[in-house]
Amino acid sequence: MSDGLVQILDGNTFVVSDDRGDIEASLTDPTGLFSFDTRFLSRWVLTLNGERLTALSVDDLQYFETRFFLVPGTGTVYIDAKLSVIRRRSVDNGFTEELEILNHDEKPVTLVVRLEAASDFADLFEVKDALKKKGRYATRVRSNSLELGYERETYTRSTTITATTRAKVDQDGLTFRIRIPAHGSWSTQLNVTAELPLAVAGRAPRNMQRDLTRWVDAAPSLECDWDSLKTTYHRSLVDLAALRFSPPIAGGHSLPAAGLPWFMTMFGRDSIFTSLQALPFAPELAATTLRALGEWQGNSVDDFRDEDPGRILHEMRYGEMTAFEERPHSPYYGCADATMLYVILLDEYERWTGDRKLVRGLEREARAALAWIDDYADLQGDGYVWYRRRNEKTGLENQCWKDSWDSISYRDGKLPGFPRATCELQGYAYDAKARGARLARLVWKDPELADALEKQAADLKRRFNRDFWVEDDEYFALALDPDGRQVDALTSNNGHLLWSGIVDKSKAKAVVRHLIGPRLFSGWGVRTLAEGDGRYNPIGYHVGTVWPFDNSFIAWGLRRYGFKDEAAQVAAGVLEAADFFQGRLPEAFGGYERSATKYPVQYPTACSPQAWSTGTPLLFLRTMLGLEPQGEHLVIDPALPTKIGRLELLDIPGRWGRIDAFGRGRVEVDGHARRSTTSKRR
Amino acid sequence: MTDPTTQFFEELAQRGHEPRLENASGSLRFDIANGRTTAHWLVRIDKGDVSVSRSGDEADCTIGASRAVFDRLASGRASAVAAVLRGTLSIEGDWRLLVLFRRILPVPAATTSTARPRSGRSRR
Repeated sequence: MSDGLVQILDGNTFVVSDDRGDIEASLTDPTGLFSFDTRFLSRWVLTLNGERLTALSVDDLQYFETRFFLVPGTGTVYIDAKLSVIRRRSVDNGFTEELEILNHDEKPVTLVVRLEAASDFADLFEVKDALKKKGRYATRVRSNSLELGYERETYTRSTTITATTRAKVDQDGLTFRIRIPAHGSWSTQLNVTAELPLAVAGRAPRNMQRDLTRWVDAAPSLECDWDSLKTTYHRSLVDLAALRFSPPIAGGHSLPAAGLPWFMTMFGRDSIFTSLQALPFAPELAATTLRALGEWQGNSVDDFRDEDPGRILHEMRYGEMTAFEERPHSPYYGCADATMLYVILLDEYERWTGDRKLVRGLEREARAALAWIDDYADLQGDGYVWYRRRNEKTGLENQCWKDSWDSISYRDGKLPGFPRATCELQGYAYDAKARGARLARLVWKDPELADALEKQAADLKRRFNRDFWVEDDEYFALALDPDGRQVDALTSNNGHLLWSGIVDKSKAKAVVRHLIGPRLFSGWGVRTLAEGDGRYNPIGYHVGTVWPFDNSFIAWGLRRYGFKDEAAQVAAGVLEAADFFQGRLPEAFGGYERSATKYPVQYPTACSPQAWSTGTPLLFLRTMLGLEPQGEHLVIDPALPTKIGRLELLDIPGRWGRIDAFGRGRVEVDGHARRSTTSKRR
Repeated sequence: MTDPTTQFFEELAQRGHEPRLENASGSLRFDIANGRTTAHWLVRIDKGDVSVSRSGDEADCTIGASRAVFDRLASGRASAVAAVLRGTLSIEGDWRLLVLFRRILPVPAATTSTARPRSGRSRR
C-alpha cells in the first residue's frame, strides 16, 4: 500500500484511510471500508466547526484496531491546540469508531462535530479497472441513523451508520452540537455496519483479542540472537492471523486469504502455498484449505469459468460483477498449478500431522485432482501440463503464478503463443504424482494406482530433463511453446523445479550455480527473471523483481538437493530485507543489485500484507533448521546464515507431539567450521 | 411436460446413490415459491445415499427461490453461487451442503468447449 495510508482488517473486511482516519476515495483508489469485495464507505470525513484535523500520531494497536491522535486545524501552525481528538477504530462487520474530544482549556467550549459519509458501493473489480456502476443509490435518513443503499435488480447492499449519542442526521452525514466543560471531555461511538445478505456473509462474531492471543500462543516460540528475525517472526504470525478468512462454507474454520487490498478472498494457489509455508507452525490452516478447496473442486466443463472436473479453483469473489456474471469468479478455475499443489499439500500435511482421517476423507478429491493432470491439462497430448484459457474475454492468459501478460518470454523478449507449458507446472505434476503414489499405497490401500503414478512420474522426469534442458547454458527453459520449442529465458522457476524433485541429480549443481549467480541473485534474493534477458526490468512485476515467497520455495528446493549453505544464503538475503519493512515482507521488491541501492526498493503497487510473503519467514525457519518429517520423527539439520549464532524454535507441533529444534551458527574449531545441533522431544 | 425443477428432483429421487455426494451427510430443503404457493423438496443425504420427499420438515440447510429461478438452476442455465450473490437464492443453515449439492446441478452444455476428457492415457 502507498505510504500514509492506514489499514485495519479482519478476514475480508478492511478499512483503509489516511493518517487522520479520514476516507475520501475516488473510483480508482482502494481506500474505504470494504467487505466481501464491495466498498461500503467511500467517504468518511471528520470536521470540528467546519475544519479538518491534523494527525499527531497513529497507534496501530492490533491488526484489527487502530487509534488516531488529532488536533484541530491543518497546516504547520495549530490553530487551536486546546482540543485533542482521539478516534479509536476497530473492524468487525464494518467498523466501530469511538470518538473522544478532550478540552484542555480552562473554559468550556461549544463545537459542531460533523462526520460526512457516503458510499459508491464499488466492486473491487470496478476499483481496479475504473468501471461505472449500473444500479441506483438510495439514502435513508432515520432518527439517529443513516442508511446508504445500492440496488441493482435483486442485488442489494447497504451501509448503516448509527451513533450512541444524539445526532442530527442528513443525507450526507451526522452532526453533533456539543458543549464540553473546562478540562472535560465528550465521546460518542459510531457503528458502521456493512449489510450483506446473510447467505453471503454468515459469520459469527468472535472475541478478536482473545483469538489473536490464542493463535500466537499456539505457534512455536522463537529464540535467537538476531532481534530483527524475532520481530519478523512475530509480525508474520500476527499478519497471518489477520489474513485468515472464514468463508461461510468453512464451518467457522479459517484459511489464509491472499492479501490486502486486492486479494482478500479464497485463492487456490495462494492459500495452498501459504498453508505449506505455515505447516510447521499452524497445521490447521492446511486442513481447512484442503477441505474448503476440495468442496469447491471443479465438477463440470464450463468455459466461462475455465472449469474442468477435478480442477481446483483459482479465485472466488463476492462482488456485484461476479453476481451478474460480468466476471467469472463464482468461482473461477483458470489456474494450471493449484490442482497439483493440492495433492502436494495433502501429502505434506499427512507427513507432518499423521492425520490420515483427512487424507481418507479427501481421497475422492485427490484422485480427481490427479486424473485432471492427464485428462484435462495435457492439451497437446504429449504428457506435459499445458494451459490456454477458454474464457477469452475475462479469463486469465497466464495460468501459472507469474500471471502477468509478459511474464513468459524467450531470452530475446519475444512472447510465445498458446498453449504454454511452463516448467514449474511439470515439476508440480511430477511431485503430485510421486506424493499421490505414497498416499495411494499408505492410506488409500491402492497399490495399483501407486505403481501407475510412480511409473508416470519417473517417465515425466526423464522426458522433462531431456526436453526442457537448455544445453548451451545448463538450466531449464521457462516453458515449451505450442510447437514444442524451448521458451529459453532464465528464471527463478528453476528453484521451484528443485523443490519439486524433478531435476536430475547430475543437473542440480548447474541449476544452483545460476540461482545464486549474479544474473539471478541480487543480494536480497533471487530475481524472477535474469538480468540480461530481453524483458528484464528490475521493477517489472514478474520480469525482474524479487518475490519473497518465490525465494522461500527456492530455499526449500536447495535444501532438497543438499545445498544447505546456498539455502541459508537466500534466506539471509530476504530476511535482511524484511528488516527494512519492519518485519513485514511486501509481495515483491525491486531486482536492483544490493550493492547499488543498499536497501530493498518496494515494488510500487505491491500488496501488503500478503499471505505468501507473510508465510515466507516461516518457511525460511524450516529450511534454516532443516526440519523434515521422517516417519514418526522430525529430523533437524540446521544450516544457519553467518548472521545467526543461535536459533531455537520451541514446541513445533506435529505427529511427534511437540518438539524443540536448536541450531548453532558456525563456530571455528581447529580451523574447521563446525555446526552443533540438538533436538529435544517434549 | 413437467417443469425442469420437478424433473430434476424426480430424477434425483431415482438415483438412490450419488458418488459426488459421498462427502456429504445432512438434509436440504428447497422452498420453491410459485405465485402464492410454495412447494417443498426435502433431500436427505447420507454419505452419498440420497432420498427425496415433498416434506416441509426442518432441514440442516434451507434454500429458497422462485420457480423461475430454480428452473434455471435445474436446467443448467444459471449458477447457484451467482444467484446467492445476486439475492435471488436465499440460504439458511449449513452452507457446506449447498456447496456440495452444486456438484449435481446440471451445467450449461459446453457447446463451444475445447476441453474434453482424453480417452486413454497420454502419449509417452
